[in-house]
Amino acid sequence: MKELSLRRTKRVVNTQRVMSDKHGEEDESKKAKMHLKANDLLCVNGCGFYGTPQWENRCSKCWRAHQNELKKSQDFAKNKSLLSFDQFQERRKSTTESKSRGIKNLFKTSPIPESGTSSPTSTSPSSTPTRRRDLSPDSLEARKQFSDFLVANLSTAMAQEIARSVKNAVNKISEMRLNSEDMSDLVISYYQYLGDRIGVHSYFNSPDCKVKVEDVMDQVEKYISTCCYSMFFCASHDEEVADMSLQDRIRSLHWVTAGFLETKLVFKKQNVRDKIDEAITELIEINAKKSAFEKLDCLTRSCKAIFEALKESESSTSADEFLPTLIYILFRGNPPLIQSNVKFISRFAVPARLMSGEAAYFFTNLSCALEFARNMNHESLQMEKAEFEAYTSGHMAPPLSVLNSACNQAMYVLEGTIETIVTVAKKAEDLVKNLTGVDKKSDDDLEKMLVLIKETVDIFPTDEYIQMKESIFAEEQETADLLVSLSRQSSESGRGTLSTSADNTQPSTPQPQLDPSFESPLAAVLKEAADSN
Amino acid sequence: MSSVERKEFKFKVVLLGEGCVGKSSLVLRFVENKFSTRHLSTIQASFQNKTVQVDDCKAELHIWDTAGQEKYHALGPIYYRGSNGVLLVFDITDQRSFQKVKNWVLEIKTCLGKTTEILIVGNKIDLDDERQVSRQEAEAYAESEGALYMETSAQENRGISEAFEALTEKMIQHSRTTTSEAPLSNRSIRLIDEEPLEESRRKKCC
Repeated sequence: MKELSLRRTKRVVNTQRVMSDKHGEEDESKKAKMHLKANDLLCVNGCGFYGTPQWENRCSKCWRAHQNELKKSQDFAKNKSLLSFDQFQERRKSTTESKSRGIKNLFKTSPIPESGTSSPTSTSPSSTPTRRRDLSPDSLEARKQFSDFLVANLSTAMAQEIARSVKNAVNKISEMRLNSEDMSDLVISYYQYLGDRIGVHSYFNSPDCKVKVEDVMDQVEKYISTCCYSMFFCASHDEEVADMSLQDRIRSLHWVTAGFLETKLVFKKQNVRDKIDEAITELIEINAKKSAFEKLDCLTRSCKAIFEALKESESSTSADEFLPTLIYILFRGNPPLIQSNVKFISRFAVPARLMSGEAAYFFTNLSCALEFARNMNHESLQMEKAEFEAYTSGHMAPPLSVLNSACNQAMYVLEGTIETIVTVAKKAEDLVKNLTGVDKKSDDDLEKMLVLIKETVDIFPTDEYIQMKESIFAEEQETADLLVSLSRQSSESGRGTLSTSADNTQPSTPQPQLDPSFESPLAAVLKEAADSN
Repeated sequence: MSSVERKEFKFKVVLLGEGCVGKSSLVLRFVENKFSTRHLSTIQASFQNKTVQVDDCKAELHIWDTAGQEKYHALGPIYYRGSNGVLLVFDITDQRSFQKVKNWVLEIKTCLGKTTEILIVGNKIDLDDERQVSRQEAEAYAESEGALYMETSAQENRGISEAFEALTEKMIQHSRTTTSEAPLSNRSIRLIDEEPLEESRRKKCC
């Protein structure tokens, strides 16, 4: 396609030259051709810049991007072939026969004289190795823990024997310049050998013995794998590149979320979200641990958190739910150097631990999840190839749906908050309603109470009330007397004015509003006066 | 250690089968004697240990459940690698799930050869009215592949412990007849007494 367009450009140029020679006056057709040529020179990506043939008709920027893409896909192909699990397993099998020479080396008693190792914690006199590396601080720490364990749990003779053997092995490990694969074979054979050797010891069957052979092997593994860590973890460049490209790939698959994987997680629950975060943290934590034992421990904790998240979501905890969730956690967390970690564990852990038991199951599932991530394509998600590629390259965003949205965690939090606010608002409304009700009721009650008080007072008047009544009565009496004398005076001076004065005084007279049955003396006088008229 | 005298065994048993054929229910019933339609359980159903007594031998079974969805089919080999027994479960009311079992048998045979014992289980015999795979058909197939065939019902708890016991018995026989001491360690067992010829190569390394 590109070549074709190139050729076309050339042809256009040629014909133009011929045409301009022959009919220089035909400007219009020339212009049209010029226009076409300019288009052809543009970058094939359509970014608006001009492309160059040696960059496959791309502009400088697109060419660089293209190169990066190519390198990435090459790295990824490499990663696939390099780290495929089955192949790794095959390799291990094929080297089984060749390893015994090395293992003999490992078993050979070291040139250190027996007397030099009187106590299990004593360090070997550095007479032998000229190339020996010093142990890293982590290894020293691991060694201390290991010897403490031996001293605490085993008989002195036993502890000495094991410590000596392990120390020799560790020395050999740092002396021998082997690649990780060969060393892994040696280390695993060593585990086997040591396990068999101490397994036949009658000491472990005696009642004094608090530990099992497996426990001792755990400690041996912890120590040896910590020592191996600095030398063999992600040691080769290829492994690092492969890990980076896997991480890139997982990053590009960020859009594959819970919905596509058909997990049954209920993100609306805070507990579920917390457990998922916990699982992700533990998965990332794997990289921070040095020994295979601790790495597996992190993985186990991560998987347990996943199970709890599933339980919180009220989903079953069968593998049908577990594996998709683990893959989801892997995609969400994108843990650093996870591939190297898995390889390290499978190389330097006691094989039995990776074949049976809980940790083995989780480890196998993690391997499956990685395998799935490596090989995932449109078919595994049952969608169109173009769609899958568009999502992965970021040209298209997957449709938002409740389950597929990756950022919906924030939405869930928001939704939850809104829900809370609504309930709070409703509660406040109810409270206001209740308050008004209480107010009204208290008003009613007050009125009723007043009536009741009045009635009670009328029936059982207090002394004060009677006194008050009497004083009012006396005052009125006085006023009435005054009025009577006044009316007499006026009748003496002339009749006819009383009625007016009486009419005038009546409304101004204070009328105590008491009992309607109470006969005011003033009223009686006025009535009398009116009658007399 | 003489293999005839062994009384204690450790076996890894992998459950394979399409989704919804009842793998998890089977395990739950076997380990916990529980069945619920939504199989909500306090225990995780995907990884279980159970000790089985067969005659005078004790066998510790590590039962690994696998994801049955089609998209995870390719991951099968990672699961059943190193297993002593495989339990292939299908639904007798679903012909398709039986076809998938046949695929798996082929896969396992090419992948593991004869190192593992296969037990084919037809589940859901309580739904006998809707049966699509006849007992004769399944039995004939199992026999042609050198596998065992059992029918179970996780709902009614029929045939489940028998199935696991039959498989255990076969695995014990298998591990007695094979020369290696234990399948887990046969990789490196011969290393100690064998002197290989590659000394020169190794010497260069050290």
